[in-house]
Amino acid sequence: MPDLGPDIFFATITELSAKLKAHEISVLDLTRAFTTRLERIGPRYNALALPLTEHALRRARELDDDIKRDRWRSPLHGIPFAVKDLLAYAGQPTTWGAKPYAAQVFDYTATVVTKLDSAGAVLIGKLAMVELAGGPSYRYARASLTGPGLNPWDRTRWSGGSSSGSGIAVSAGLAPFAIGSETSGSILTPSAFCGITGLRPTYGLVSRYGAMALSWTLDKLGPMCRSAVDCALVLQAISGGDSNDPGSAGKRFYYLPQFAKPVNQVRVGYAPVDFNEWSDPAARPAFQQAITVLRDLGVHVKEMALPDFPYGAVLGAILGCEASEIFEPLIKSGKVDELADQRQIAGLKAGLEIPARDYLRAMRIRRILMQEIAKMFIDVDLLLAPSRPSPATKITDPLDRRLNPSLNPPPKSSGMTALIPAGNLAGLPAIGLPCGFADKLPVAIQLVGQPFSENVLVSVGKAFQERTDWHRQHPQV
Amino acid sequence: MKISRRKLAMAMITPAALLAQTPQPPIPANPEEELAAIREQNRRNSQALDEFPVPMAAEPAFQFKA
Repeated sequence: MPDLGPDIFFATITELSAKLKAHEISVLDLTRAFTTRLERIGPRYNALALPLTEHALRRARELDDDIKRDRWRSPLHGIPFAVKDLLAYAGQPTTWGAKPYAAQVFDYTATVVTKLDSAGAVLIGKLAMVELAGGPSYRYARASLTGPGLNPWDRTRWSGGSSSGSGIAVSAGLAPFAIGSETSGSILTPSAFCGITGLRPTYGLVSRYGAMALSWTLDKLGPMCRSAVDCALVLQAISGGDSNDPGSAGKRFYYLPQFAKPVNQVRVGYAPVDFNEWSDPAARPAFQQAITVLRDLGVHVKEMALPDFPYGAVLGAILGCEASEIFEPLIKSGKVDELADQRQIAGLKAGLEIPARDYLRAMRIRRILMQEIAKMFIDVDLLLAPSRPSPATKITDPLDRRLNPSLNPPPKSSGMTALIPAGNLAGLPAIGLPCGFADKLPVAIQLVGQPFSENVLVSVGKAFQERTDWHRQHPQV
Repeated sequence: MKISRRKLAMAMITPAALLAQTPQPPIPANPEEELAAIREQNRRNSQALDEFPVPMAAEPAFQFKA
């Protein structure tokens, strides 16, 4: 195997594709390099659920044959990738990160995996995750069949979840891109903590067929990559209608930067209190600098705040009810007690007791919430907030504690601190962009757009990443 | 109507800020306490949902299309 050099592991999809097209490397070389690295380094960070090396090498040879015939399937042709272990892959274990499902094998493959395979991408493995994608809630990072996701920037810190392995794999150069899922924060959080770019698509844009269901009305699948453009290339491959997914919007995403609104015409709403008061003091300079960069790009920045809603209660009732209904057989069988996290076990059990009236009321409030948030987009194109107010938490920290208890007195406005639950309840797309470091750990901003406005998000993300190099920095692993 | 500065300040504080002022309960020590804590949280959620005014015409977001 030729020595491809360490830079290859941190190259973008576009850069890797250029090398394949120039015949500087073969798909087989690239796949061997990444499978070896994933198997060698992945377990060190509790990132690997299942290597698929043999399958990957076989597929790589087929794709090299395609190249010899000058057949290019897509911009992802020959690019290795890995997926969160909640996606079915026929004949292989799909554990959902949870002990009760450790031996589970499906005889079908998730639509997302099939689509990426058709696009010529090479599946090299399945990645660790928080058990049952963390639903309805959990307390400790160790809530996983594979142990806590260790942050490649500092192994005493958490990778974020629930797409922990996906965040680690991209950050540590174990895969050029990964697929994660988000019900409420599971793409944006590990992307922020691990210093990578994550895109949460509009609800219904990407088929969830073959993915573990946690909440029918909240679940989304999306790309976790090295850049905004990489996210667009992956999203283009995985989006589209699917009659197997009842939530499918029947729409596709085409990456069309030439038709996106010019960045200097984009209007962004943000709440200064999120950046100046709610966030960790160590992260404030990075967040402030991110706003400055956006202003320098010509983005029109306007102060605003989310409307007042009981976001936590609405999300809690909907997710609690749906998750417990989905996992009712697990709860009733008693096997729920095999899960690693006591809070999660209790949350699933108690979810069965939530009255139907609470669920209905939460869904009615959700309708009003969606209408009110839609009104915000009359004045702006995107909403901006820190992805997380602080860098990665310590592995041993309880996650259901307040992130910044030192805020005394607390800020008088909640600004857009609820943007993650609000965006997920409204089904809105978001992109997470690394914007600097706090205490040597990455921090990131999130931009949230109107439904199906992914091209605007990518366009602003691309412009931001042309002015900054935070997305190009990687940990020494 | 007269209103004290303290009351005015409290009225201006948003739910997240109020939440931030609430003392954090201790971490439950065993599965029974854990279940009780989650039930208490669900009860508080239910109360928060009840307190939010919902017009009679507001239908649930069942036809959920973004």
